[in-house]
Amino acid sequence: MKKIKIIVIAISFLSFISLPASAQNGTLKLDLNYNYSIPVSGFKTDLISNTSPRGFRGGIMYAFSNKLEAGLSFGYQDYYQKYPRSIYALSKTQDVSAVLSNSIQTTTFLLKARYFPLNINTVKPYISVGAGTNLVDFKQYLGEFGSSQTSVQFLAQGGIGIMIPIGRLKTSGINVGAIYDYTPYKKLGYNNLNNVNLQAGIAFQLK
Amino acid sequence: MKKILSLLSGLASIAIIYSGCAKEPLNNLNSDESRIYITDHDSTVSFSNYKTYSISDSVAIIDNGNSTMRLNEVDSAYINAVKKYMSQEGYTLVTKEQNPDLGVNVSHIISTTTGVISYGDYWNYYDGYWNPYYWGYPGYGYYIPYGYGVYQIKEGAIAVDILDLKNVSANNKINVIWTGLIRGSGIFDTSIADSQVKALFDQSTYLKTN
Repeated sequence: MKKIKIIVIAISFLSFISLPASAQNGTLKLDLNYNYSIPVSGFKTDLISNTSPRGFRGGIMYAFSNKLEAGLSFGYQDYYQKYPRSIYALSKTQDVSAVLSNSIQTTTFLLKARYFPLNINTVKPYISVGAGTNLVDFKQYLGEFGSSQTSVQFLAQGGIGIMIPIGRLKTSGINVGAIYDYTPYKKLGYNNLNNVNLQAGIAFQLK
Repeated sequence: MKKILSLLSGLASIAIIYSGCAKEPLNNLNSDESRIYITDHDSTVSFSNYKTYSISDSVAIIDNGNSTMRLNEVDSAYINAVKKYMSQEGYTLVTKEQNPDLGVNVSHIISTTTGVISYGDYWNYYDGYWNPYYWGYPGYGYYIPYGYGVYQIKEGAIAVDILDLKNVSANNKINVIWTGLIRGSGIFDTSIADSQVKALFDQSTYLKTN
């Protein structure tokens, strides 16, 4: 686990460090994407299996060359699921019958690098990696009685997608992609909040 | 300037989405779904060792540590529902003068001084709400052998407690051997009293005479 974190962070930072030598472009771009999130792994089996259509991802990316850009990425997602009434054991002798609701909001901030392996002007496929933090606000309700826990978790991210340049000068673009978020969440007996995301949005040049 | 405006409008859009798109769990619950039923019991006793019971003829209204006794329509509905389901589980109702094996208290908890109900706090005052003299055992104290969790309280609760009267002399105290707690929206309603008490008994399958 620690190794994965180190590797992802190292890749992200190396992306930044190794860029200036080949930097040609120097443009600053703003990405805004609608994000559809699909819980997977322990997130899906232990907490919330419902997909979430309520989220966005964005970022400010600096293009160091035609092939490489990096910057700060941010996002927000709301997950919610209500489970039918069931009896839960609170202790060896104590039981509670309740409708259980899980509500999780994640706010992500990460350093992200995007690499465009092909120099094509019409459709530019890319791969991306990122690492940073995930502010997790977890609320759990038994009936109308809730408890909440807010924590900051590690987040690593990998993704693929395509950017379709638009406009006369091709300074803006349409983005379509998929990313995988890896977030350990070792709390209350849970394991992770891993999820797969489908996103679409726009990118436009700021300078 | 145009680009700065674009950036600001983009960030404003994000702020609107951020504040508006979260699904509020409490808005997605109806009254029935808002309720919870908590039961606990003394795992060292066998409920089949008890055959008869008596139930208090009124309800203790517990409000911030003070109590009064009351019997209105809602209280009667809850007492009658407890009688119904105790009978279904095989227990025979007798008067308290007939030496019942079990005593049953029904309490209506409005709130506590701390705004939090923990059974620990609740039980600290229990002999103030339910004088042991009522059950014919002056001088004895109540004892609850199992622990409880802590629950935030907003709208009150109905508590049903079953006491071991059969072994008071041997135990030198009045042991509480089962507790049921009903919490949530709209519970102080005559029409739903039966279903609320039924829920407590349904999840306590060990509570029967055989």
